Amino acid sequence: MKNITYKNRIFKAALLAAVLLAGCSDFLDNPLENQTPSVQIDYTDLNRMYQPVSGVYSSVTKGGFASWVHTFLKTSQSEDIDPRTGYSEVNELVHNYKSGAVIKGFWALDDLWSRYYGSVLTCNSALAELDKFAANIGDGDQANKQLLARYQAEVRFFRALLHYYIARSFGDVPVLGVESVDPGYLGTVGKTPVADVRQHVISEMDFCIANLEDARPNQAAHQGGVTKYTALFLKAKAAMDLAGNDNGSPHWDVVLESTDQIINSNRFSLFEDYYQLWKKPGKMCDESILELQYSDFGNPTGDVVMSGGQVWDNLFLFQAPQNTYGAPINGDGWLIPSDEAVRFLTGRKDDIRLKTAVQHCGIDGRPGTFSVTPDGDTISGNTAGKKYFNGKAYFPKSQMTPGRVDWYGANNNVRVFRYAEALLMNSEARIRKGQNGDAPLNLVRTRVGLAPLVNATIPQLMDERRAEFICEWWGERFNDLVRTDQAATVLSGFVKGESEFFPIPQVQEDRNTNLKD
Amino acid sequence: MYMKQNYFKTLMVLFFLMTIAGVKAFSQGFVLNGTVRDESGESVPGTTVLIKGTSNGTSTDAGGVFSIRVPNGEAILVFSSIGFATQEITVGNRTQLDVVLAAEATQLSAVVVIGYGTQKKGDLTAPVSTINTEDMLKRTTSTPMEALQGTVPGVQVVAGGSPGASPAVRIRGIGSFNNSNPLYVVDGMFVDNIDFLNPNDIADMSILKDASGAAIYGVRAANGVVIITTKKGTKNMKTRVTYNGFVGLQTPVNVPRMASGEQFAAYALEWRTPADSGSVRESVNRYGGNGLRPATSTDWYDALLRKRALMTNQGIDLQGGSDKVTYTVGFNHTYQNGTMDAKNDFQRYNVRLQMEASPYPWLKLGFTSILNNSTMHFPNNNAFLAAYTASPLVPVYDENNVNAFPVKFSNSGLIGRNDPNAVADAYYNFNRLKQFQLLPSVYAEASFWDNRFTFRSQLSQLYGSGLRANYVPQRSLGPATLVSHLVSGQERTTNYILDNLLTYRDSKGPHNWSVLLGQSSRQEQWRLTRVEADNVPPEEEFWYSRQGTPNQAYYDEDGYRNRGLSYFTRGTYDYDGKYLLTATFRADGSSKYQSKWGYFPSVGLGWVLSREDFLAGQQVVDFLKLRGSWGKLGNDGIRPNSGYAVVTLGNPSSAIFGSVGNTPGQYIPGYTVNNFFANITWEVVTEWDFGVDFELFNNRLKGSVDYFDRRTADVALDRAFPFGAPNIYGNWASMANSGFDVGLSWNGQAGKLGYQVGGNFSTLRNRVTDIGSLPNIPGGFPEWMAEFPNRIEVGKPMQYFYGYEVEGIYQNQQEIDADPVAVSANAAVPGTVQPGFFKYRDLNGNGIKDDNDRTNLGSYLPTLTYGFNASLTYANFDFSVVFQGVAGNKIMNLNRGRYVKGQSSLNLDADFYENLWTGPGSTNSYPSAFALSRSWNRPQGASFFVESGAYLRVQNVQLGYNFKIGNDAPVSMRVFATADRPLIFTRYSGFTPEISGIGYDANVYPISSTYSVGVRASF
Repeated sequence: MKNITYKNRIFKAALLAAVLLAGCSDFLDNPLENQTPSVQIDYTDLNRMYQPVSGVYSSVTKGGFASWVHTFLKTSQSEDIDPRTGYSEVNELVHNYKSGAVIKGFWALDDLWSRYYGSVLTCNSALAELDKFAANIGDGDQANKQLLARYQAEVRFFRALLHYYIARSFGDVPVLGVESVDPGYLGTVGKTPVADVRQHVISEMDFCIANLEDARPNQAAHQGGVTKYTALFLKAKAAMDLAGNDNGSPHWDVVLESTDQIINSNRFSLFEDYYQLWKKPGKMCDESILELQYSDFGNPTGDVVMSGGQVWDNLFLFQAPQNTYGAPINGDGWLIPSDEAVRFLTGRKDDIRLKTAVQHCGIDGRPGTFSVTPDGDTISGNTAGKKYFNGKAYFPKSQMTPGRVDWYGANNNVRVFRYAEALLMNSEARIRKGQNGDAPLNLVRTRVGLAPLVNATIPQLMDERRAEFICEWWGERFNDLVRTDQAATVLSGFVKGESEFFPIPQVQEDRNTNLKD
Repeated sequence: MYMKQNYFKTLMVLFFLMTIAGVKAFSQGFVLNGTVRDESGESVPGTTVLIKGTSNGTSTDAGGVFSIRVPNGEAILVFSSIGFATQEITVGNRTQLDVVLAAEATQLSAVVVIGYGTQKKGDLTAPVSTINTEDMLKRTTSTPMEALQGTVPGVQVVAGGSPGASPAVRIRGIGSFNNSNPLYVVDGMFVDNIDFLNPNDIADMSILKDASGAAIYGVRAANGVVIITTKKGTKNMKTRVTYNGFVGLQTPVNVPRMASGEQFAAYALEWRTPADSGSVRESVNRYGGNGLRPATSTDWYDALLRKRALMTNQGIDLQGGSDKVTYTVGFNHTYQNGTMDAKNDFQRYNVRLQMEASPYPWLKLGFTSILNNSTMHFPNNNAFLAAYTASPLVPVYDENNVNAFPVKFSNSGLIGRNDPNAVADAYYNFNRLKQFQLLPSVYAEASFWDNRFTFRSQLSQLYGSGLRANYVPQRSLGPATLVSHLVSGQERTTNYILDNLLTYRDSKGPHNWSVLLGQSSRQEQWRLTRVEADNVPPEEEFWYSRQGTPNQAYYDEDGYRNRGLSYFTRGTYDYDGKYLLTATFRADGSSKYQSKWGYFPSVGLGWVLSREDFLAGQQVVDFLKLRGSWGKLGNDGIRPNSGYAVVTLGNPSSAIFGSVGNTPGQYIPGYTVNNFFANITWEVVTEWDFGVDFELFNNRLKGSVDYFDRRTADVALDRAFPFGAPNIYGNWASMANSGFDVGLSWNGQAGKLGYQVGGNFSTLRNRVTDIGSLPNIPGGFPEWMAEFPNRIEVGKPMQYFYGYEVEGIYQNQQEIDADPVAVSANAAVPGTVQPGFFKYRDLNGNGIKDDNDRTNLGSYLPTLTYGFNASLTYANFDFSVVFQGVAGNKIMNLNRGRYVKGQSSLNLDADFYENLWTGPGSTNSYPSAFALSRSWNRPQGASFFVESGAYLRVQNVQLGYNFKIGNDAPVSMRVFATADRPLIFTRYSGFTPEISGIGYDANVYPISSTYSVGVRASF
């Protein structure tokens, strides 16, 4: 009898345990730990509506846009830069404008493509998120409807900006809209001609201009965000690329009209100290139309937000000189101003721009020698014999947050669009249309202490553009030469019809065969 | 789901009713005494004496004497002992029984552990390999699976190099990309590996290789199942103590010679860049030499490696039992020092406790627990990488490096290079993982209706915790001072499995059958917390994040919780041991996927021909069985995915605004959504197996041959998408593996000399059968996907290497001018192709090197794995040797390929350097030094880097001597000397051709040989 009791208990326990487990209908139904589903976002809370937009800014600033890889690819296409990177692909081929099958497998090209388009995809999912908020905006709620349109415009601005630069590097490329959230679509989408991509950018900008804030970026509600003027600026640039060297092109009207709007708003002015423009005092100044923002929060240690994301991605570090005098101004010394650039600036007595863009590594780069920067930092020579380093990526030790010893360039922003270029575009459009472009051009010249020009010509204007943007990272010089059909003359090795664009990376073609033709 | 619950409840009620019925069967009986001797009259201690059909029994003492209470005269006693044929004797009216056991030539009656039960080896319908645990003890490895290398057909073991590293195990090829390791079941508990066990802990080990054997484990079984039973005591046995220990020295072997200083200087100058020649000149200026001939020649590997590293292993265990209680206690300790000359070792001890009590003859209660405690100091593997690529023109130490502290390490920056200092990397590294793991399990087993029914309920658990401390002190190699950094992590694993099993076994005349019904539920839960900080003081007592400077990014938590619910059944039937049938079915539910339930059936048939009349009376064939089986398996070792768009919140997805002038910017909260996901389900394997088992010539030749064909559907892998979209993890492919597994052994005796030779091999043919509508899926090794891609394509082996094929080297300008490919390249950019450069095969013959010239460069999967062994015994001596090898596979040598991404002249192995092209006619297979710096020779996956991975290794050589000490209760002793992995024959140029994963060799940790002596004693 006792036996039976024991058995009873054991079996009852086993029965209970098994039935309890089997009986819980949700035993197998639990969401994945530590992975928040997007459906848990409260889309009725319209105060959160800016969050996907901030996510887009985050993707662009910390993603590929200002990382070393893409800036060295673009910058190396100018005769003003001696790449001196560690990659024979860049030193041999990119710098000599050869971009055939040999370079198709170069990882940096794929990185450029993937990270730019990666941010495009982030923009598209942000737009899908905004639509979910939109569904909760009441019919009569004009304020939020307006905000929604503004936020959509901010996202669409960045999507267009990325397409603009992708097309500048690769030529005919796909335009990815919101339908790209379907991965199957990505595997089959075909290419759009480069002119159509630029036209697409212009029509996107019309939406943005209509809906963005009418403010200078440093006065925007989200300080430093893109505004109506940023969109006008990009519209002008896309139109300028479309107009090319054709003075009769109607696109010049677009350039003129857009830049006139920027100038006539009277919201912008040139920062008077060209040298300091790239340093802390010039951060998000009244000249800034688009700037990628970073921070070390004013703290000597702890969190730092820099371009790229990895330590190496940081725009400043890889251009810092190889300096035996120590951290933090000690990097790999890539993208150095070429002798040609120095000759050019010296020849036109462009002293302020020379001082700003060209910094010295010791005496002619010889090991064991040293030089001192205008801000008092000691820079040594180096075994590779690099004479200079890029002064526009130089951030003086004295401007660093007190106590900070690492993260060269921390707490500085990356300048992308400047009012100076709006003035130069305006001047160019005027000259091309047979008007006088001296007034905007001379504003740019006098800022750096150059004498005003009278009845400036296109060659004079192109020289001014070259000097103004020298050693910057967005490929303006190369684009200007291609646009004005000067590339084959000026750039040794450039072949018209072959050298304008990079080949689409091999891995991308392998993943989507429609990219082949 | 509802149906199943109801079914299950009914089942439980049924169990309950049967239990009550079973009680009536129990009664008293009488005591029987006896002895057990062998044919020569020696007593046989430790013989198991069981009452047939029950779990009641005893075992003989040292004098071969036993005593047992039997219920009645109809009881049948079963006598079994290892090495003897099992005998059954009906008790009748005897009270004294003296038994003579005959030596056994065959192990067909041996009991084999299969999933949730046991079966006689002769009755199996599935290919199940049982491991000889004696042979396993001969290997001096720190993990038990490594000891199996080369011994089991169809089981490939790829050993790692660093101390305590878990080997990769593949059963019958690649069934999955996710986790190709088999399921390990230790005393009923599912674990990912058995590194925590000592070979000495293992009593039985079975490997279920095919679907019909493994299907009872359903969704977990696709990679095969390894079932381990730890040692247990038996009833009424005399306490037995066993000691096992060895001490050995490990010596790194096959370490590639790197180019010397002189060679490297010549190489660097050939790159013809200011930076490369500048560094040669500066080496002369700083460290001596003249002109461009530096005097420095640092052998970084020599500086990093210990010539001899200690390894010890000791274990002692105690087994015993009374008439109601059996027990085992075991203790093991392993220590293995790493061959890197830095803090780098592995130490583990485990304690094993097992106890089983039979409070009533029909009931068994027991528990087993394995407590495991280990400390691993990980080496900084980057140091070996640095040693491989660093310039030999820099010394290890440099007294004139003014900023360096606390140790005056050199800084290659001083000669304009970027090489990390390998010795400093190893020195400034402290990376410790302390792990603690407890595997307790408790069970109750009740038998009733004359033991025809057995009900067993078992709760198995695993509690694991890990504490990681990774500390790098404040240091400088000049000019910058790097702050100290601490990473502190805590991990916790809590898993459980609850099994309920009902077994019914019966027979009538020649018909024998059994039925198993089972239910199992399980949960696996893991959680990780990690914190980091800078500027943490060097004393270990202060290694807390609060002692340093925090950072937003320095905190992370992660975890998972997976659950499973299963119902399964197995039926076996045989007619007179002649015709065999096994069928299983398992229904598995898993929380990891969107589709929750899967069903896994299997069936196996066997025909024992040797029991047929037509084979009676002949002398050749002792045993012959034909087998055929079919089954389905699942693999849920694949990563769970969410099946929904995932949001990333917080700082990583928030942007900075307001960074204006002197004002630092601040975050504005943001989020991003990853909309790219696929619904995912487990992989499904369907397998056919046909086999024959045989024993011939008086059981002297034994063997088995199997042909298998396994098809894996819904293979889950990360698929890359264009446009920088994140990889999507989904069920993208199907593939087939087929081949033969053959095992043979011959035993013989010539006077006092006994000998045994054995061999096994497996062939493998792997093909992708379906990837949906896609033409191919490109992939590769992380970070090298663009340079060294692989591809998945229908009809080809999975993930074959893909790229340009190098035909030879251009010897002179005439050859270049005659080749349209080179001409077109030079027309575009003069100087692109020069003598000494690679000549690529123009596969499509269009005269241009383009993407259509790329092709299949080989597969990482061996088409043949084999092992063979021989052993001799002469009087008290024994000698054995084991060989092991693979053939037919390729390795992508990423170490040699590193120059492709090299920003300056990286060092290369001396063999590479010495073979470089130096002028017309010097070589047609290696490029010139200059060529390595030019983009033409830095292509995608040139066949130049694909090498044969074939090797033959002398795995283990052992010489042993056995003797006894004492007369009354003699202590059996064995002393042995072992050489483990002493020799390897291979043409592969890297450290070792044993590459786990998808065949990309980025490994830089040398493999060691171990020479050891050991002793084993039991009494």
